[in-house]
Amino acid sequence: MESKLGKLNIDGTEYSTEIPDGALEAFEGAPDPSEVRAFIPGGIVDILVSEGDTVEPGSILLLLEAMKMHNEICSNIKGIVSKIHVSKDDTVKKDQLLVEISGF
Amino acid sequence: MSIMKSVNDFLARLSGKLKGGGEIAIEKQKKKGKHTARERIEDLLLDPDSFLETDLFVEHSVKDFGMDRKDLAGDGVITGFGKISNRSVAVFAQDFTVAGGSLGRAHAKKITKVMDTAAEAHIPLIGINDSGGARIQEGVESLCGYGEIFYRNTRLSGIIPQISVILGPCAGGAVYSPALTDFVFVVNKISNMFITGPQVIKTVLGEEVTQEELGGAVTQTSITGNAHFYAESEVEAFDTLKKLLSFLPSNSNEKPPVYRTVPPVNPLGDDVIPDDRKQAYSVRDIIRGIVDASDFLEVHEHWARNIVVGFARLDGKSIGIIANQPRVLAGVLDVNASDKAARFIRFCDSFNIPLLTMVDTPGYLPGIDQEHAGVIRHGAKLLYAYSEATVPKMTLIMRKAYGGAYIAMCSRHLGATFVASWPSGEIAVMGPEGAANIIFRREIAEADDPEACRQEKVREYEEKFSNPYVAAKKGYVDTIIRSSMTRDTFIKALSVADSFKVGHKHGNIPL
Repeated sequence: MESKLGKLNIDGTEYSTEIPDGALEAFEGAPDPSEVRAFIPGGIVDILVSEGDTVEPGSILLLLEAMKMHNEICSNIKGIVSKIHVSKDDTVKKDQLLVEISGF
Repeated sequence: MSIMKSVNDFLARLSGKLKGGGEIAIEKQKKKGKHTARERIEDLLLDPDSFLETDLFVEHSVKDFGMDRKDLAGDGVITGFGKISNRSVAVFAQDFTVAGGSLGRAHAKKITKVMDTAAEAHIPLIGINDSGGARIQEGVESLCGYGEIFYRNTRLSGIIPQISVILGPCAGGAVYSPALTDFVFVVNKISNMFITGPQVIKTVLGEEVTQEELGGAVTQTSITGNAHFYAESEVEAFDTLKKLLSFLPSNSNEKPPVYRTVPPVNPLGDDVIPDDRKQAYSVRDIIRGIVDASDFLEVHEHWARNIVVGFARLDGKSIGIIANQPRVLAGVLDVNASDKAARFIRFCDSFNIPLLTMVDTPGYLPGIDQEHAGVIRHGAKLLYAYSEATVPKMTLIMRKAYGGAYIAMCSRHLGATFVASWPSGEIAVMGPEGAANIIFRREIAEADDPEACRQEKVREYEEKFSNPYVAAKKGYVDTIIRSSMTRDTFIKALSVADSFKVGHKHGNIPL
């Protein structure tokens, strides 16, 4: 694994030391609920909403096939479908943006 | 049949079985840079002419899918017993040239049979894995075979040392036998371990990854920590394995063999670490300055490098060393370092190997990812492992021993049998900077020159607490020694504790 020399602060003291890559990566913040992303790579089987549709928390937006299962991708918020970024039969990567919803 | 005729008939059958999967399959194996299963056992692992093979004539009894017409030499695995440095071991090696080393019922039964004998004979078990996986034609019988091996790996854990050498594919459920054993060896460009291979990942998830990236030797020794020893070649892997065995007893009722004492090549002087506590150094240099012949066999060298663990000898006797590594991440404790050290400590405790803990750590690694990764749960394993251990537990405080990390690194409070500190030891709740900022927060804030006041308070704290004497006054540190006296001191301490009790205590659960 790659490493670089750096400073590590523990309780106010800065130590000169090797910092292996990825060792200090913090978790990203909570995901933005207005952006619906693929939680797993897979294929878009069907899109059940159109731009401009009103959705509720739990409304099914599209079906994502992965691990031989059709996964229902739902909205987490109430809002209007402002943009659909994928088409039927597209292959998507993990965390790829699928649908944007503008909340009320 | 006359006697000579029956002997000739036997020799013909034997030579057929000894050819394994035949010349073409052997040639293919060689082209991959691999030795055959038989070469691995007889030429690379065991003492010459010491191999006693069992079950060469075992055959499978499967009738489906045309299997009844297939004659699989030894059912794809070679099993038996032999000697390493004149000490008995049990061994099995999957033969990739025979049906891809696939595991069926008879294959598994051969393995569980040597495991059972190893258990009764109280000798180490060495497994060489090179297999395409389950023999699909055999259905649930193949799964039964894996399960019965896992069961024995677990039941024998902590009773006899179990070592796995991955010399080819080891995929799917097959990975769990090595994962249950004490040590796993991998070889660059030959070993592969994964639950689901690149092809499945591509089909199911659409993600592309090479076998090497996914589960090759580098990945398994530096990213996952699934494997303990990395080698560039099969020969190197077996040489290291033999060296590893030299530090271990044959079972939990024995102590490791004692060797002749050899002094270190570069003994420690009195000035071995940097003056500035913020400057890094490699603890490996310190270890080599203490142990016999400066010879240190590191375990998990490439994973969780902020802690160093491994085997060495002191006065000819095996010890397990656990040392913070200031060179990497300042020697902090974190999730992986805790797991690495805890499992090593529990192995040593299982097999009567005294511990030497070398402390220079500023504490635990702060951060959201560490907290969310469960540093509380993982860190607890280290406390548990040290507290549980009943082998002699010797501790050397070299410099920083702060806060919870001081407690965790085999302090007197966790039952250390002997604690020494160098004069440079600093046993305190935290470093002077952090402590001064908290204790004198108001004074610093109200001072005319806060920075100057802060510096002064840091110095004040340093003088008072950044030393080993406060702990020594309370008896938490038994003795304070110059670093040049380290080896002699610990040889004496080890000799005092030498007649500790042996016997089975616990298994070595993967942590």
